[in-house]
Amino acid sequence: MVRAALGPPRGKIGRGPSPFAAYLPAATVVAASFLSALPIVSTSGWYPNFGFLVLISWRLLRADPWPPWWAAPLGFVNDLFTGYPLGFSVALWSATMLALDLIDRRTMWRDYWIEWVLATVLIAIDQGLQWRVAAAAGAAPEIPRMAPPLIISICVFPVFAWLISRIDAWRLGR
Amino acid sequence: MATARPGWSRRAQYGLFFSFLAVIAGIVIGVILLTLSLVAPQQFERVRGAALDVTGPVAGALHEVTSTAAGVFTGAGNYWDAANQNAKLKRERAAMLQRMVEAKAIFQENRELKATLQLRERGRSTIAVGRIVGSSFNSPRRFAILSTGTSDGVRVGMPVRSSMGLVGRIIDAGALASRVQLVSDRASVVPARLLRNGIPVIAQGRGDGSIDVRPLEVGRNPFKRGDIIITSGTGGLYPPLVPIARVVKLDDDGAVALPLADPATTSFAIVEPPFEPTAVAASALETP
Repeated sequence: MVRAALGPPRGKIGRGPSPFAAYLPAATVVAASFLSALPIVSTSGWYPNFGFLVLISWRLLRADPWPPWWAAPLGFVNDLFTGYPLGFSVALWSATMLALDLIDRRTMWRDYWIEWVLATVLIAIDQGLQWRVAAAAGAAPEIPRMAPPLIISICVFPVFAWLISRIDAWRLGR
Repeated sequence: MATARPGWSRRAQYGLFFSFLAVIAGIVIGVILLTLSLVAPQQFERVRGAALDVTGPVAGALHEVTSTAAGVFTGAGNYWDAANQNAKLKRERAAMLQRMVEAKAIFQENRELKATLQLRERGRSTIAVGRIVGSSFNSPRRFAILSTGTSDGVRVGMPVRSSMGLVGRIIDAGALASRVQLVSDRASVVPARLLRNGIPVIAQGRGDGSIDVRPLEVGRNPFKRGDIIITSGTGGLYPPLVPIARVVKLDDDGAVALPLADPATTSFAIVEPPFEPTAVAASALETP
């Protein structure tokens, strides 16, 4: 008998899901929304919408990271922390959950490229709606000024997707 | 909700259906909230203030850490070239002393002239002093988080300035922190004038950290590169004679200017009461 088998279980063997596995995805979304409290004073607004990126990373990775209606309260928390007009993320995130459910029925297969394309479309919709809401408040920047944050968000999405897949593996004890 | 039908279980089918309804309800509630917050933003003043009280102090604490770390590096850098710097500062000081004597003479003359005109001088009071600890770095709007709130007397609508120039105005106020709409926000319009010749202009933010300045009267472009824009005090919200921005680029009928009070390097910001509260209240009644 191998002596190591007698000691406490180490590594991957004998490790189950984390006790908070069901709530961890939602907790990471809240944590990402809370990144808005970082002491970054920027006058360009080119940083990605962290909460939304984590939300779509989870939803593209799995169909059931949380019950779909949780998107509304998660969006509410995001609105409060980021200073978006209240209700913006509530509506957008719920609609995202619904849209991705419909897309799940249609797509025949999934790979990294399709996920990235889906994320690109969702990020573009997010940025476009932010521009629209800013316009409704009389504060719409010129359209070319919306390009840098859009491109940055799209380029940074794979990093978030990778990070979320790592967290998912950890929470399920894999 | 992943598949059209989860099997033969009635319970699973109903569960799927109700979760579908719940998501649609979420969208509807979100749209209603969004409409309310665009049409009547004061509705959510309290809940937004409470959220600021959660994020504000955290941002403040993190800001402390980063500014200490940054201070160590710039502090070390200052020793690198100390002798040269010393000589330069001495030269500057000599020049400044001369200018200061001139300014004192002008100040005295000004006071005498005002006394003869019997112009009433309103003392400029300070409501609170805070640090800029965060910003809306992932939004097309330009907001900053200020580390002072209603517990210090800050109220929504008050102008904010720093020693360098005008910063913006308060739009959300929590007990411990408040949100400032910067002068570079697209919705920020400040009545201003040129320091050089007093021509009245309008300074509107561009949403990317710069400011668009246009003359009130159509005609020749009055701007030159390097011009300083100051507040005019029109409208009664912002106090007059506060520097706003420096012109960096001319365009067809106006110019692009950069704010003098860069929120990223502003250490302290001062919250002041509205300059003419009665005028502000009157204009608020006119434009609901």
